[in-house]
Amino acid sequence: MRNRRPVIAAVLTAATMVSAAALAVVALHGRGAPAAGDSAPGGTRMAHLSADAAALAPPAKPAFTVATPRPLRLSSRVSMWAPVILPTVARARPRAHAHIVARISTRTPEGTTNILLALGVRRDAMHRLWVHVRLPILPTNTTGWVRRTALGGYRFVRTRLVVDLHALEATLYQGRKALFHAPVGVGAIGTATPVGRFYIRDRLTRYASPFYGPIAFGTSARSPVLTDWPAGGYIGIHGTNEPKLIPGRISHGCIRLRNADIRRLATLMPIGTPVAIESGR
Amino acid sequence: MNERPSILDGLDPEGRVRESLLETLGIGRTELLLAALAGAATWTAGHASHAAGAGLTENDTRILRFDLQLEYLQATMYTQALRLGHLRPAVRDAARVVGAHEWAHAHALKTILGRRAVPPGFFDYHGVTEDEHAFLRPAVAFEDLTAALLKYQAIRLDSRAVLAAAISLHSVEARHAAWLRRIAGVLPTLTAFDRPASQAKMRDLILSTHFVAEDPTTGARRAPGFTG
Repeated sequence: MRNRRPVIAAVLTAATMVSAAALAVVALHGRGAPAAGDSAPGGTRMAHLSADAAALAPPAKPAFTVATPRPLRLSSRVSMWAPVILPTVARARPRAHAHIVARISTRTPEGTTNILLALGVRRDAMHRLWVHVRLPILPTNTTGWVRRTALGGYRFVRTRLVVDLHALEATLYQGRKALFHAPVGVGAIGTATPVGRFYIRDRLTRYASPFYGPIAFGTSARSPVLTDWPAGGYIGIHGTNEPKLIPGRISHGCIRLRNADIRRLATLMPIGTPVAIESGR
Repeated sequence: MNERPSILDGLDPEGRVRESLLETLGIGRTELLLAALAGAATWTAGHASHAAGAGLTENDTRILRFDLQLEYLQATMYTQALRLGHLRPAVRDAARVVGAHEWAHAHALKTILGRRAVPPGFFDYHGVTEDEHAFLRPAVAFEDLTAALLKYQAIRLDSRAVLAAAISLHSVEARHAAWLRRIAGVLPTLTAFDRPASQAKMRDLILSTHFVAEDPTTGARRAPGFTG
């Protein structure tokens, strides 16, 4: 019994201290806070803070709020193009002394900014950036490498145009979804529309030439036959003043659409859209 | 041209971010100057003429339009870096989240500005988005600067409602800065008190990066010369 007394005393002391601590926590949270003027220092402080909080002006409703967005997607079905801001050369490889494939100007024959479809980016041994590009030259499907410094900022497009020369149809896709579908007139025998991979370079409007309809898109495709054509023999995608000939093999290589169709296509197809012209067989 | 005092001096006393940013961008290259000057004209014009928005004072409209352009500049940079695909997973994950935030900010600002909103500009990041090392430095700098800019603008806003919204963006931009600083191996914060960055200085710094470029002319009103 003698030995138990100190233990009991210690337990009682501990219990008293725990109770006191619990009361202090309750007081700090404002429950059972002592009245103003109470001698407890913590209580006075809390009373002042509570009074300050209550005296604050009401909050202003934010003029706008931002919803929690989803992280950006890593979309793979995107094509990239860039304007040519300096005259340059395209080389066969991403090296300073590689064979020159083509000379690239900053302007198209139509007077618009020359653009190139970018296929990839690489650094050379000197840590210089090179961009792999599709070139608007013959032979069809030629690609090359240009210095990044010759190009302006990248732009991205999600669309791609597929022209089926056998079915005489054009379809604009965004991903796998067909946004537009229309019959077309294509190159006649002897001036066939070239098959290959190209892209939309520019858009011409408000000209006085009914032959081309209301809108004409310039492409990077060139006729392999009409090489001495005044403006370089580039293939366009345009309207017509002879809609009854569509669909058909009727042109010098250009892709003709009925005027209503080219107007609709113009609302859906941005500059830089890749164009695949397929034989369809 | 890089010796003059810049707002980055206050935010980056060691000069690491500033030095890297300018070095990365190759400021001074003659071939980029012409494009940058053209872009500068577009940028300045975009902020020089505007009318007060419905429900917004002229002053608040001026501030929010600038912020919108800055959000576009940042959001496009993240999007472009992601699409080019040269980021490590840690950086890529941060860019996906931070980029989405910047687009959300841009959308919110565009909504409140309504018809007074500036359209997205055309940006040329001069190789920054093709390389993770080059990308991180301006990304950190822009997050730092945006937080500093919002601090400057907040006390100049007329509307308490706009202020309430702006400070909700401010803390997020500061968190972006800390996150990207950590990834870049830079201390999240160097000072106990941040200094603000003025809108005019911010504009000058943005122009010095040459990121704001001229929109290419891809349309014309002339008869086609195609083969027909």
